[in-house]
Amino acid sequence: MHISEGVLSAPLLITGAALAAAGVAVGLKKMDYEKIPQVAVLSSAFFVASLIHVPIGPSSVHLVLNGINGLLLGWMCFPSILVALALQAILFQFGGITVLGINTMNMALPGVICYYLFSWLVNREKKLISLTAAFASGLLSVFFSGILVALSLLFTEQSFISVAKLIVVAHLPIMIIEGIITLFCVAFLHRVKPELLGGIYGKATY
Amino acid sequence: MEKRHTSTMYLLILFFASILIISSSLPVSAHKVIIFAWVEGDTVFTESKFSDGKKTINSQVLVFDKEGKQLLEGKTDNKGEFSFKIPKLTDLRIILNAGMGHKAEWKIPESEIKEAGSISEIKRIGESSQPIDVGLSKEEIKELIEESLDRKLRPIVRIINESQSKGPSITEIIGGIGYIFGLMGVAIYFKNRGKKA
Repeated sequence: MHISEGVLSAPLLITGAALAAAGVAVGLKKMDYEKIPQVAVLSSAFFVASLIHVPIGPSSVHLVLNGINGLLLGWMCFPSILVALALQAILFQFGGITVLGINTMNMALPGVICYYLFSWLVNREKKLISLTAAFASGLLSVFFSGILVALSLLFTEQSFISVAKLIVVAHLPIMIIEGIITLFCVAFLHRVKPELLGGIYGKATY
Repeated sequence: MEKRHTSTMYLLILFFASILIISSSLPVSAHKVIIFAWVEGDTVFTESKFSDGKKTINSQVLVFDKEGKQLLEGKTDNKGEFSFKIPKLTDLRIILNAGMGHKAEWKIPESEIKEAGSISEIKRIGESSQPIDVGLSKEEIKELIEESLDRKLRPIVRIINESQSKGPSITEIIGGIGYIFGLMGVAIYFKNRGKKA
């Protein structure tokens, strides 16, 4: 879902970069001392996730992991994803430097949305609610990213609906897999490190 | 203090476990598209794929000239290939539009087209002429050699094309993770300094 260089127009790139910068600023402000290692770990996870390719469906798709990033980091997933995307652009030539802003925006914003939608459910003690919420956030974050990518391509490609449909259909397997991965991560954290999930277990994660 | 210690440990375990899982699923795939084009006679052949080797099927291919004027467009077939007759003698810029924001470009300089074109013309003349034992001029022999070299080198060109599309290496992956942790160190350093001041 990386948008390549030279696809989008300059105003769109600048808008994307400005929005991403704002998100990163908020994230950095919320990032306190103890959160830094967690941000780094999730950033590396996001960085390598793009290499895990799922050979199902018509296009070439890979894991995103923006759901778990958003769920655990909230606004801090902006700096986390920015760093990971920058390194992907430099080392793997995925995306590019000029599209960094808009790509960060497309990946991180769904994470934040899922954070607000689900994090209060994820840290419930009831397993069923918590795990369902985790699954939903993994699934929906990829879905929202697809919609945002389609929106950014609105000015270059044919029609929004057809692009959005194409992206969502191509990412259906990924959405389900991401949901399952997020579910297992949350289940694991419930067992070993419930504070990370915030809420009733410990200090709220903003 | 001890609590923080254990949490770091869990994170590290999680991290190394994920590294193990990932490295076991190597060779890795990537997420970009590549178009590759070469000239044979008066035809340009193109091959397009995602960098994990999956062909880009039914994708739009646009051909532009030096001035940026669109000469023609077409779609890749189900092998990711698309070929067209050279529309005019100019630098060709071939752009692949694989949808969803994936885009790649390949340039063919005018000189390459000229060379290939001249060979095919000679070939056509040669075909209508007498058998070889009549004796060939130096030029004709040269052209014949070049033509067969072209044919022989095609697989090698393909191999180069393949190697171009290899996914990131393990060095780059580990390097990238190293960068992230380096940045973490920097961030902690600055936060720490702010605390002391």
